[in-house]
Amino acid sequence: MNSTLPLLALENVSKRFGGLRVVDDLSFALPRGTCSALIGPNGAGKTTVFNLVTGVYSIDTGRVLLDGNDISSMPSRRRIYHGIARNFQNIRLMAHLSALENVLVGQHCRNSGLRGVLQPVNLVPRNRWREAARTALADAGLAQYERAAVGGLPYGLQKRIELVRALMAKPRLLLLDEPAAGLNPRETEELRERLAVVGRERGISMLVVEHDMNFVGALCAHVIVLNFGRRIAEGTPDQIREDPLVREAYLGVQAEPGPLQRHAS
Amino acid sequence: MLIYFQQTVNGLMLGSIYAMVAVALTLGMGILRFLNFSIPGLFMIGGMLTWALVRDAVPWPLAAGAALLMAAVASLVVELFTWRWMRKADEFVPLVSSMAFLILFENLAVAYWGSDLQSLPQLFAGADWRVAGLVISVPQVAGLILSIVLIAGLSLILRKTRLGRALRTIAEDADTALLLGIPIHRIVPSVFLISGIFAALSGVLFAVNYRQVHPFMGEALGLKGISAMVVGGMGNIWGAIAGGLIIGCAEVMSIDLFGADFVDISVYGLLLLILMVRPTGLFGAPAGARA
Amino acid sequence: MSGYVEGILVLLAINVVFAYGAFLPIAAGQLNLGIAGFAAIGGYVSAFLSNNATVPVPVAILVGGLAAAMVALAVAVPVLRTRGIYLALATFALGEIVRAAILNIELVGGAAGYPVVAFIRFPTIAAFAAGVAVVVWLLFATRFGIAITAVHDDERVADLMGLNVRAFQVAAFALGAGFAGIGGGLYAHHFSYVEAQYFGITLSISIVLYVLFGGTQSVLGPLLGATVFTLLPELLRGSAQWRYVFFASIVIVVMVLRPQGLVTGVRMRRLFRDQRERARTGQAA
Repeated sequence: MNSTLPLLALENVSKRFGGLRVVDDLSFALPRGTCSALIGPNGAGKTTVFNLVTGVYSIDTGRVLLDGNDISSMPSRRRIYHGIARNFQNIRLMAHLSALENVLVGQHCRNSGLRGVLQPVNLVPRNRWREAARTALADAGLAQYERAAVGGLPYGLQKRIELVRALMAKPRLLLLDEPAAGLNPRETEELRERLAVVGRERGISMLVVEHDMNFVGALCAHVIVLNFGRRIAEGTPDQIREDPLVREAYLGVQAEPGPLQRHAS
Repeated sequence: MLIYFQQTVNGLMLGSIYAMVAVALTLGMGILRFLNFSIPGLFMIGGMLTWALVRDAVPWPLAAGAALLMAAVASLVVELFTWRWMRKADEFVPLVSSMAFLILFENLAVAYWGSDLQSLPQLFAGADWRVAGLVISVPQVAGLILSIVLIAGLSLILRKTRLGRALRTIAEDADTALLLGIPIHRIVPSVFLISGIFAALSGVLFAVNYRQVHPFMGEALGLKGISAMVVGGMGNIWGAIAGGLIIGCAEVMSIDLFGADFVDISVYGLLLLILMVRPTGLFGAPAGARA
Repeated sequence: MSGYVEGILVLLAINVVFAYGAFLPIAAGQLNLGIAGFAAIGGYVSAFLSNNATVPVPVAILVGGLAAAMVALAVAVPVLRTRGIYLALATFALGEIVRAAILNIELVGGAAGYPVVAFIRFPTIAAFAAGVAVVVWLLFATRFGIAITAVHDDERVADLMGLNVRAFQVAAFALGAGFAGIGGGLYAHHFSYVEAQYFGITLSISIVLYVLFGGTQSVLGPLLGATVFTLLPELLRGSAQWRYVFFASIVIVVMVLRPQGLVTGVRMRRLFRDQRERARTGQAA
């Protein structure tokens, strides 16, 4: 495996819904083992990018490359088997499953097939998959909520469970859609630390959609800015902060192209 | 050759019965996204009550009126227990409760009247047109015309009146309707009322024209209204008429070509086919009932 | 055991089997309104086999179940492409078609019904019911159960998590149909007669009603629903019609008061696991 090859690359990807170009000729590459952020005003197409990478939507033109392999037409179900996992902007845990069972769902891609399906995870007390799930929850400080019905849990806890579920799939690429939304400052900081640790220890590359620029600045080394489905800037958090086009997109202030744009394609 | 025309006439007559049931069903589907399984039961109530009253020497128009009244009351009870208190429940639940009402109505009928087939006397002696070698029952034509008139009236109500506009708003999005200040709780019963009356009227027409009723006639006939609704396109009133006529003709042709035993296979085979190939029906509507 | 009590228990056992037949697809998010049709297939196939070949009745019944499952498998792929209400209607149409088709097969009596020679008593029937219940319970103690519930709750996310949603739905549908077929076989060999008329929409609706009434979030729900459906009307001692009236009324009321049914999932599972853990560690409650 070539370690300088970007883990994820989009090449001239476009997607339209009806007459609207939601993603417009977008290209970027995520370096391996880092955390990158995807930012932009609401409606810039960030969640659509996630949906394209995970296969929820099919791309109209262009390619999505994972480790140099074209996954553009790979069915959505297969992508987690190739290491892409995600969370969801509006938490989507399975309401009728307990927290532990939701995490067990995360394991499915590593334990599928007939043997996996018949794995007695809820029957045999010391089943190793069950134990692995329990450990994962305990590591996240959620052991006491194992058997809780997820629907009744507070928002912050549900978000953490969703993250454990995604990590349970042992992904190489983790897509996080507004992971800090709705969290208070303490929870946000805990999340940031946790993500930093997880990324480092397990070598997971992350792509994070976030509006909280402090969170992004502290966690991600690389930022891609979208507006109207196009990439308008890319660089380190500091560079992005100063970029006039980015300021224009967010603040609506008319600007000359900045240093990044003059060099960019 | 003549036999085919006769069959077509017969098919259209029967089809008008199915059309009314289909309209009753499609109203619920289009406006409330609710498959009201009690409709075949209301069909049966219309037919059997008419028979029971006629048997007790009540003049048939009065009997029909009383049957419609009973059905109206029953449909309001159904609304109470399937819709009003359960709008936020799981999707299956109102459907399930309406199915329970079907069972309830059927077994109440058996408990009161027994499960035998019952016959009505000839109410319109010799009222047949004989034209061009075809036999056309005048009461059946009257029924067909009545059906079309009522359905056209319903269509007008949906398009021109305030009630109709409110119903169409509810069909688009019940929550938006609430926000717009539409009193859903007072308006939705009207949907149940109208569908219930259409279904019961269809049963009355069947009883009066085909002169046979039994407690499970809702299953034998009313359920075919579902086929008619789907073929015509759920939520589309004029589609429901077309669907009803198509199913009626399909049934009559099927009896002719394959024998009476294959009727159900034809009618439900058509339903299954449409569901798998073109679920929006022949004249499919997207959301909301089309007038 | 008195004949009366045996009769009730036989009915209970058969209803339990039917209940699990309807429960499986519902747990995966689909309503099989044609379940009685699959019961009919099981009943007729097993009866035909035991009438015409020297096979032990339990084997004939299992073959009947298998036949029902095969038919379900064959139709599942096109039918399960539909969703929600369309699926419910498609299964309803399917059930009616099966019933009407059987009525036309003179080989098995057509409209007159089909007499069954072999006879089974309560112990055999109870064994089948217990077997079905255990199989379902075991399945739900494995990843299969979690997958089914995941598919029921959120198909899109289940798919993104790597679950083959269609495969699980087809499996639940076919397995449920198989159980219904077994129930049909049990019925045929105890009542010595099968007639397609019995396996109509009323039976399908009744089964679905008592399953939803019992609660579809736990494997105990169908058991409870079947029990209430079978035993409670006995208290009334009325005619068959009044029992249905009573049953339908109860379902209507329960659906208003507690639409998730009597038994709900997580609580049940937690209850049992708590008890097991306390027993194991010897802790007080």
